[in-house]
Formats: sequence, structure tokens, C-alpha cells
Amino acid sequence: MRFDRGNTSFVLVAALLLQWAVALPAIAADSPLRQIIDEQVRAAWQKQKIQPATPSEDGEFLRRIYLDLTGVIPTYEQARAFLDDASADKRSKLIDQLLGDPLYARHQADVWDQILVGRNPPEDRVRKREGFQRFLREQFEKNTPYDKLVGQLLRAEGNTVDDGAPVYLVQFERKAEDAIESVTQTFLGVQLQCARCHDHPYEPWTQVDFYGMAAFLTRLELVTVGKDGQQSKLAMGEKNSGELNFTPAKQQLPGKKGMPIAPKFLAATQPVGEPELPKDFKEAKFPENQPPVKPQFSRREKLIEWIVARDNPYFARAAVNRIWAQFMGRGFIHPVDDMKKSDKPSHPALLDAMAMQFAAHDFDMKWLIREIVSSQAYQLSGTGSVKDAAPLWYERARVRPLSAEEMLESWRIATGYDDAIAKTGKDKDAAKNRFHGVGWDYVVRFFGSSVTGEGDFQGGLQEHLYLNNGELGRLITSEKGGLIDAIAQSQDTMEAKIDRLFVSLLSRLPREEERTKFAEYLAGDEKKNERLKEAIWAMMTCSEFRFNH
Amino acid sequence: MAATFDKSTLAWSLTFEGDGVWPTAVALLDEGKKVAAADRTGAIYLWDISGDPPVTDGKAASKDRDAAATGADRSPYRRLDGHTNAVTRLLALPDGRTLVSAGLDRTIRLWDTQATATGSDHAILDVERRKREAKKSGKKDAPIAPGIKVETLGPAATLEEHREWINALAMSRDGKRIISGDDAANVIVWDVAAKKPIAKWTGRTGGWITSAALDAEGKLAFVGEFCSSRGDFDRPPPDLRLFDVAAAAAGGSVPEGTTASAPVKFDILALETPQVKRRDNSYEYFSAWSKFVARGIVAADFSPQGDLLALAQGGETGTGKIHLIDTTTGKLSKTIGGHQYGATDVVFSSDGEHIISSGRDTTVRIVAVKDGKEAAALGKPRGGQFKDWTTAIALSRDQRTLAAADMAGLVQVWKFG
Amino acid sequence: MQGFCSPREHMSRRLLLKGLTFAGVGAAAGPVMNWGNLVDAPAFAAQAKKKSKQCILLWMNGGASQFETFDMKVGRPTGGPNREIKTNLPGYHVCELLPKMAQQMDKVTVIRSMHTSEIDHPGGIHLMHTGYSKSATVRFPEIGAIVAKYNGSEDANLPQFIKISSNGDSGSGFLGPRYAPFSMGHDGNLPTFAARSIDVKVDDRRQELRDFLEENYAKRHAAETSRQHREANAAALRLQQARDVFKVDDEWKKNKELYGDSLFGKQCMLARRLIESGVPFVEVGQSGYDTHADNFTGHKGLLPPMDHAWAGLLTDLQQRGLLDNTLVIWMGEIGRTPSINNRDGRDHYVKAWTTVLAGAGVKRGLIYGETDADGIDVKSNPVTEGDYFATIYSALGINYADENYAGVRPIPLAPFKSKVVKEILA
Repeated sequence: MRFDRGNTSFVLVAALLLQWAVALPAIAADSPLRQIIDEQVRAAWQKQKIQPATPSEDGEFLRRIYLDLTGVIPTYEQARAFLDDASADKRSKLIDQLLGDPLYARHQADVWDQILVGRNPPEDRVRKREGFQRFLREQFEKNTPYDKLVGQLLRAEGNTVDDGAPVYLVQFERKAEDAIESVTQTFLGVQLQCARCHDHPYEPWTQVDFYGMAAFLTRLELVTVGKDGQQSKLAMGEKNSGELNFTPAKQQLPGKKGMPIAPKFLAATQPVGEPELPKDFKEAKFPENQPPVKPQFSRREKLIEWIVARDNPYFARAAVNRIWAQFMGRGFIHPVDDMKKSDKPSHPALLDAMAMQFAAHDFDMKWLIREIVSSQAYQLSGTGSVKDAAPLWYERARVRPLSAEEMLESWRIATGYDDAIAKTGKDKDAAKNRFHGVGWDYVVRFFGSSVTGEGDFQGGLQEHLYLNNGELGRLITSEKGGLIDAIAQSQDTMEAKIDRLFVSLLSRLPREEERTKFAEYLAGDEKKNERLKEAIWAMMTCSEFRFNH
Repeated sequence: MAATFDKSTLAWSLTFEGDGVWPTAVALLDEGKKVAAADRTGAIYLWDISGDPPVTDGKAASKDRDAAATGADRSPYRRLDGHTNAVTRLLALPDGRTLVSAGLDRTIRLWDTQATATGSDHAILDVERRKREAKKSGKKDAPIAPGIKVETLGPAATLEEHREWINALAMSRDGKRIISGDDAANVIVWDVAAKKPIAKWTGRTGGWITSAALDAEGKLAFVGEFCSSRGDFDRPPPDLRLFDVAAAAAGGSVPEGTTASAPVKFDILALETPQVKRRDNSYEYFSAWSKFVARGIVAADFSPQGDLLALAQGGETGTGKIHLIDTTTGKLSKTIGGHQYGATDVVFSSDGEHIISSGRDTTVRIVAVKDGKEAAALGKPRGGQFKDWTTAIALSRDQRTLAAADMAGLVQVWKFG
Repeated sequence: MQGFCSPREHMSRRLLLKGLTFAGVGAAAGPVMNWGNLVDAPAFAAQAKKKSKQCILLWMNGGASQFETFDMKVGRPTGGPNREIKTNLPGYHVCELLPKMAQQMDKVTVIRSMHTSEIDHPGGIHLMHTGYSKSATVRFPEIGAIVAKYNGSEDANLPQFIKISSNGDSGSGFLGPRYAPFSMGHDGNLPTFAARSIDVKVDDRRQELRDFLEENYAKRHAAETSRQHREANAAALRLQQARDVFKVDDEWKKNKELYGDSLFGKQCMLARRLIESGVPFVEVGQSGYDTHADNFTGHKGLLPPMDHAWAGLLTDLQQRGLLDNTLVIWMGEIGRTPSINNRDGRDHYVKAWTTVLAGAGVKRGLIYGETDADGIDVKSNPVTEGDYFATIYSALGINYADENYAGVRPIPLAPFKSKVVKEILA
């Protein structure tokens, strides 16, 4: 081939491309995921010329991993055990231990309950949903693969009280349109709601896409299958017939005919084929108080198949993006449930690799979580100069507020409330109510929604009014078995007592200046333990307790 | 006469389109030989539907309407001019010729439909069809001429006592009394012949009268009040009450705490929600009444024997059901029927055995009072996500003819038996 | 009780641009470009000397219909059943549902030619609170946070940005937690636990111990979340001094007739009280205007109490000599369609809709902009969201082109290329 200007440019470009390709580390498909994570994150730092934070200290890591995996801080004993352990692999041992702890399942159930239903569900009747929460806990205990879990939620077998899974769809009652908005957003990271009323202004979704998807759920019907005391047991049956009629937005005028819209997957050009019903088909009504019979052809089943299919371009990516964000503070695409086509992921190669491996591991959630929290990226310190709560390049560990559940559980652990009061039967509420000790309504009201839809912390004035003037005093108990009793009764030096205070509340040992300050403060104790109670209060309400560091 | 509602034919689908307006009221005159319908501009038209309708090919006149609009079409012969805003209710007096109308121009008018016409005019009643054809042939504007020629006539009497929108108008079955209610909570019971009020009173301040009804002789009155919310947390309470007309006419004081200026015979809503202490705009009361009242009781009718009162739940609500109230106790007897997205009108059959209601699902439903079973559903839901409304119905005395105003610009007339 | 905004946190911009870090002036070290509230110290002090303008935003959540309020098209196919009434501006009519505001038209500027870009609620609420469309990477501050920052006082006892029963959760965005809104529920009461329940001496000393922990934490953790935590606590403590302003029951008895006996009326009176107490920005929300169904009955329920309250507010402000210094904004996030759908409703519309301004900095008795016969398009003087906010900031004495930093990006208060609508300014 002759060398002329055209070819020279071609060669130049090719050389550049080659150089870039070599610069990026090649991803060996079977490298451990944690390794890939660290390589990719590091490569991005180099490209962005960012200096990452140092690795986390033990105390920092301890509190963080307990909260992220079990939703509570460690007890004094648990914390001491870890801090005093000198073995090199104590962190990975702790990770394994916590993943096997029943509290892991409870915490994941809390997290996913908030994702799937949230604080203010659209349907009042799902406010009380013990069956659903129990269902989630059981799945996380068994480590049900994620694709199976999604299938269970959408298949909604059984009823809301005995089986739990139907609660997810029941919250949308018969409104297929509301249900599909949640399904696509939660499991596929696709936000279709704009396309409900008009063709999307920036994204490629049209009303036909929206209603085509909603058509998969339009044959669902809410059936009452029994009663449990005051609560109804509800099931989501599916009929054999029923169409979703659709008129484009501009034609929603009187006299316009609506056309039934056939179920169609996103980005598909053709609707899903379905068998024709016989001409004189009459749909039988679901009899009361009986589980609904399955239809001959289930549109819902087709939707489930498509969602969890290995080659669904949205499913695995949305899943790993969400789970990554759960531990790292933000997804590669942010917000996690709005993975617009126009968005560029911050770490595209990592996202792809993670999605591929997650699918290859049959959507094993514990495996994915273990890989993420075992990475060096996750184990960076939360200290340093970066101001973002969840930095874009993961150059510092994310800082997140504790959820309402974590706050109350952790307060009780820190003060030893359950040992002192709950277990002794002095708190009548404790046996039946997980959220006992203070008024749960208040805690949920003030700490339940401290994060906006985009994950920004927005704790406000109300939180502090509660922290300052609310009911925390009830948890700071002097009763035998609690923290105050343990400190007051011990023969330890003041130093050792302050150590115990810090390890119980903040899961770390105090620094020198803290020892000095606290010794000074506690020495002024006029009434028995008054100042000790105040010190505990200060530690329960400070930023270090409020956030995961 | 046995009602054979299960055998129905759609005899007429009379075109009555408007530009941004639709038919809102309908009445049958002269034993179902004539039908009157009014729309949101306030125009009232009369059609002659006596005799058998011309044979049609069974296909809908227009492709954009669904297969249900297969009745014959005919132009109206007369227009009644007077109202300057939407007509909300039409009543036909038993004399077969007098029409009573009320509407948003705050007047009640009486019309002698058989009087000699005083003028004539051209009217366009198929404006949507013209727009469609213009669009098909690529023209920008729809043709406005020629329209149809109609006789015109003014009202025989105009009653101007009301100062606000009139949404409630009803008649005692004997035709001697009329009740009207407006958005300033004013209620008037009229002597039709004298064209003068017999009794006047007001309901709760700030309430709108959304429905009213009189029993067969106009002695017992039902008044339904509702007012749309003032804000998410500021919801005025509704009222559903039965009044004794004579007691109201007598005047005199009312017990302390009554939110009406006439003595209340039965407070239906209070009887329905005995557990509530504060009947004000508290959230507790709202949670209690919202299921019963939905977005207002928009239509009501006493049974011919007077033992039951039918109340139709309206506004955009999940299932616009019909409550049947025992008029001797004011308590709910049962709840039957229902229209997706709300009911719009309700009437008892002349023998009291059926309830006929129209709703926001483009359908007229006929339900047996005894067992609540649906005997017939006329029309089919049309539209996409949300359906076109059947806005009003009228039943002839002999129960053989039913007229229904269809939001898509039609007056549908069914024949039974 | 000392707040956490000490002098060291205000720095001249010149020093900054020279690359000096805070370490040099005794505060936490860090890349300075990440501070959200850079302030030019001398100019700021100068501004604080003259009385700053205040603002009340009456937020019509859901989108009030211009066809049922200020842009009547009676008799047209798009007009609907409402009729119009005369106002005290010759030649101008408003909807019959606004009888009291009809007599206040000489105080206001009506903008009938709003032409904006976000048609759905989340987008529209964000747009009409911040002037910007939502962005994945920038957290824009609401107008309340901006007014709190530019026209507010650093050490006031009352929150400087108060929202009463209103929507929009953009908050103070990149301006930082100091300017976060104090959101009150519909009943206008302070949240539970507003009153201190222990001895002041005890509270002071335990707060001091907590401050010690916070300072140490802040030295090692720069994440903004904890700054938010500290500043909110400081604000909560300051609030102790000023709680009484929220107790309105006594005053309400005397003012019920002026404002109308509705919840919105009471909230508007509270807004006036807060303005009187020096709060620079108060937002009061009324919800329910999203009438996709039953538009006419819906508006008939909402508009009369709103009309009464708004007119009462303007009258009250005028009588107390506050109107010249207070800008009262009336708007929702969108307008409503000319065409009436098959639910007797109107859907969303942003090609031509209406907002109203009154008070500080704007002309009185001006009807600005026009739509065509059916209200489908703007016929003259379109006003985009950028122009609208530029005009409002100017009326409030705030430089609409002033920039604040979101990370390393300078963001002007109103979007680039926004122009002030000079005809509206007094």
C-alpha cells in the first residue's frame, strides 16, 4: 500500500488507539471481581489525576462493615474482639462472619423493603406488611439468587399475609400503569413515567413503549382469599382476557376510540405473540376466598422471562449498579434507577465486567457483596479532604446517614438498653415490637426520609429538635446490665472507662485529646452519673454516630 | 308493567356535537315521542323520535365512534334559546309538553315546547364531523355552512332566585313541585303552577348543592351537599340530608349546631358515620366520609313508592356506586351497581324494581333493586385510559324508552321490550 | 450559643484565586474550590447595611389553570364555563372565582406570556423553584435558599428560608446546608420537641462536649453531610429563642375575615408574621391544582379561598407598610391545556401560561404579555424561566448573574443568557 497523507492519518489514529488500549488494563474475564474493581478504580484515579484517601483504620472499618452488612453497630464485646485481634486476615474473616449472621438477612430485608415499598406506599393496606418483610428475610437467609427473587416478587404466589411476596404488586392494586413504572425503574433502571402521558422529550421512550409494557400486567386482578383477624389476605391473580386501551395523549378528547395495545417489550419492534381466545370465550370470575386459578396463557410470565433473561441489556447492569451503590454510595450511573441511554457510566468497563460476572455467578447476591466489600476501594478511609458525601471516583469511602432502623437499633446496642431493660421484661413493648424503647413513629418521621431521591442527605431542623429535646433519655438507662452500670460498677481507671465508652458508642478507641476532655468532663459529676449520661447523649447525637463513620 | 330491560335496541344515535362542549342533560317528552337535550353552551334542542326509526345498516355513522353508536340519526326541529351557560338538568313535566331547565347561568326556565316558534336559525350540530372531513381533505378550516335549519323559541318563564351555579334540579313525580339547589348552598322548593317558592333554606356555608330530589308528592326532600377541597389538608365536609318540606316552609328556629337553616329530618351521613365526633374538616371525618360520598353525590332519586332513596357517587372515583337509603330511618339499606370512574345520573324505573344509572364508563347500567344483580348494560366503554362519559339519562313513564346524553356528542335512545 | 459559621469561613475571593488554602487562616485544610458559599466579604457587608428585600412565594402546586384565573377566553371552545368579572384595572377582566383579587389588580403585575420548558411535575417543580432543569451532576438551589443567602442575616434566630406546606425538594443545593429550608407542615405548628426540656446550664455544657466531638470529627472528615448535621443543630438551638412567632391562634381570631377562614388563609397570615419578624423568604403552598379531571369543580374549590387569602395578604402587607419591601410571587410549576379532555379536565401546558408578581421592585397594575384568542400560543412578549428568575432576582435587589460554585463550576443565579424583563421592574 502506498504511503500517502490519507494512510498516514489512518496509521496515526490506529497507533493512538493501540496506545490507549494498552494503557487500560486488559480485563481477564475470570479475574476475581474484587481485583477487577481495584484495577479499574485505580485506573480511573490515574486518568483523573486524583489522589485517593488512605486505607481505613480498624475502628473505621469495623463500624462501617457492621452497619453495611448487618444494619447495627457492633456490641462492646464484638468491637473489642475485632480491635484486639492481631491476625492479618481478620477483616475477611469478619466479612464472612457477618454475611452468615441472621442480622445480614434482616438488614437486607430492611433495605429492599424500602426499595420495593418505601415509607409512603401508594396503598394504605400495605403499610402493615409483616408477611412481606418475613418473606424478604427468608430469601436473604437462603441467599436466593437475585433473578429468582425478582421472579418471586412479580409472580406473587400465595397471599400477602402467609407468603408475603404479593405485597409488592398489591401496592399498585389493579393499576398496571403504576406497577410497570415501578418494575422498570426498580429492576431495569429505566424510568418510563414521562412516557405515560406523552412521548419522552429526551429519551427514546414513547407512549407506545409505556403502554406496551403496562399491557403485560393489565390482566392482574386483586383477589381476597381470606382474613387474618382484621387484615385481609390478598392475592394477585391473572385473568385470561382483558385489554389495555390506549389513546395517544393529544387525542384524549371526547369521542376518541381507544385501541387495545398488545404487550410489547421495550425496544422490541413487534409485540409478543399470544394465543387467540376462542370467539365465545367467557372469563370466569375468581371465586371469593380461594386462591386464584392461573390463566392458560400468562402475559406476566412472559414479562418475568424477559426481565431476568441473561441477555436482557438492562437487568444485570441495573442490579449491579444498585448493589454497588448500596455499598459505595453512588452507582456508576447515578441515580441508580435512572440509567438513561444518554448517561455515560463513570467506570464503563467495570460496570460491564461486574454485570457479566454477576450473571455468570447466577446472580448470587452474597457473592457480589462479598467481592465489593473485600475490595480496597470499599475499604478506603472516610477521612480526608474530599467534600462529596459519595465521591464520583470513589477516591474516599462514602459517608452515609444511618437509616431510622439502624439508628434505633444502634442506640439500643450502644447504651445496652436491651440487656438492661428489654431482656428483663421491664419494657412490655419489647417482646412484640422490634422498634421498642422510644416512640418509633417519631424516629421514622424524623430519620426515616433523610435522604432525597438522588441520595443526598437532607437531615433538617426537625431531626435536631428530636435529638435535643426528644426521647433519647429513655434509652440512656442506669439499670443493671446497661452501659452506665457497666462503667459505674467497674473498678477500672478513668482511662479504661472512657475507652469502654468510646468502643461501645463509636466502635473505636478514643484519641488522647478525647481522653483528656472526657476525663475532665466526667470528673465534674455531681449527681450520680449525670455527666456520664450527658456524655453518652453527646456521643449518640454527634455526626460520627449519625453517619457510618 | 313488567320491565323487560334485557331486551333493548338502540333506536337512535342523534348527532349533537359541539366545539369544545358536549351534551349535559336530557329529557323525554310526550311519552317518549320527543327528546330534549342540552349542552354546555346552554342550547336546548328538540328531536322528534315518534314512530319507528328509519332502518339503518347497523354500522356506526362515524368510524371514530365505536360500534355502539348504530342508531338512526335525525336533525332536531327546534331549539330553545335563553340560557347563556351550560344547562345542567332537564325535566319534563307530566303534561308532556313543559320542559324545565336549570344551569350555570343561575336561572331556571320553563318552556312550552309545543308553543308556536317565534323565529328560526341555522345551527351546526356536527362540528366534529366537519372538522374530521376537512382534515381528511387537507383543508384548514371546517365548513360552517350550510347548517341545519331549526325553529327557535324562548322560555315561557325565567326564575332568577338563585345567585350561583345550579347543579341540582328535580321534580316530584306528580309534577307539582320542583326542587333546585345552587353552589351557594341555597335550596328552593317551588310550586310549579304558581312558579313561586314554597320553601327556601340554606345548607352548610361554603357548600355546593350537587344533587336534590323530591318524593312523589314533594313532601320529603333530599339535599346532597359537597364542595371540592380547598387544599390537601383542608377538605370541607359534605352533607346528605332529608328535610320535611312543610317544616322547612314553616320557618322557625333550628337546633343549635345544625349546619342548615331548616330542621333536618335525617342526617344520612351522620347516621352512616356514628363513630365520628367532629363533623368538620378534620382528617378523621374525611377518612370516614370519603368512602361513602366519593367526590360528591351527583344524582339522587326517590323510588316511586317513596320507601327508598338512590344516591349516586360521582366525581372521578374508583367505582361510582349507588347507595339505597331507607327513607323511614335515613339509614343505608344497601349499595349496588357501580361505574368505573364514577356515576353521573340515577333514576328509578317507574315500577321501582330497577335502578338505572349512567356513568363515566360510557355505559348505562340497569340493576335490580332486590338482589343488586345487573339486568342490562347499555353501551360499551369507549376511549383509552379514561372513558367517555354518559352524562345524563331520562326514562319515559312507560319504561319503554331511555335517552342518554353521550359526551362524544350524541343522544342515544334505547327502546325496551 | 455559637454557630459554626465563624469569620474564618468567609474569605475574600481574591485570596482564593491565589490558591491559598484554609490552613493559612486556621480552618480545616482542603481544596478551596469545593466550598459552595464563596462570598466577596466587603461587598457582602455593604449589602447588609441597607434593608434587604423580602419575598413570599405563593406556590400553586399542580399547576393552576390560566383559563380559570387571569387569562380568560370566555365563549371560545377552550373557554370553559367560568365567566369573567371586571377588575379595578379598566379593560382587564379576571375569572369570577377571584372577586377579591379583582380589586387588587392595581397592586400587581400579571405575566400572561410564560413560556417554559418542563411539562411534568417533578421537572416543572424543580424548574420553577430553581430556574434550571434538573441535572444529574449539579444540585441547584431553590429561590428560597438564594434569597436566604443574599438577603438574609447570618445570625438570626429564625430560619431564613421557611416553607409552609409546600413542594419542591431541591433545597439549598450547592449553596450548602446553612440555607436549607425549614419545612413546616400544613398546620403551621413547629414540629414536636421544639421546646427544650432540660435545664439550660445542663444543655449548654453537654452541647459544648458535643461541639468538641464535632470539631475533632470535622478535622478528619470533610464530607458535607456532617457540616449539614452541625449547622442544623446550631439552627435548632437558635430556634429556641424565636419559637413564639409561630403561635398564631390569637392573632388568627382577629384576622380570619381579612384572610378568609381557610387553612391557606391562616398560613398566609403566618407568612406575614414571619416577614414582619425579618425572615427574608417564606413559601406557602396550596395543593390540588393538577386537575386532569373535573377541572372546573376542582378550581372552584381551590380558587375562592386562595383568592381571599392572597388579597388579604396584599392588603395586610400594604397596611403594615411591608409591601414595598416584599415581593409576593404567585405561580405554580405549569399551566393547563386550552383543550378540555374527556375527564372534563385540563392537562399540562407550558407553551403559554400565567404568573403574577406584586410588591417590591415590580410595577403595579401591569398586564404583561398576551396569548392568542384560544390561549394556545403566546402572541407577544414571551417570558422564559430564565428571564423570569432574572427579573425576580433583580426586583429583590440580587444580582442575577452572580456566580456560586458547584464543585469547580461557577453557576450563575439565573441561567446564562437570561435577560431581565425591564418593563416589569418598577
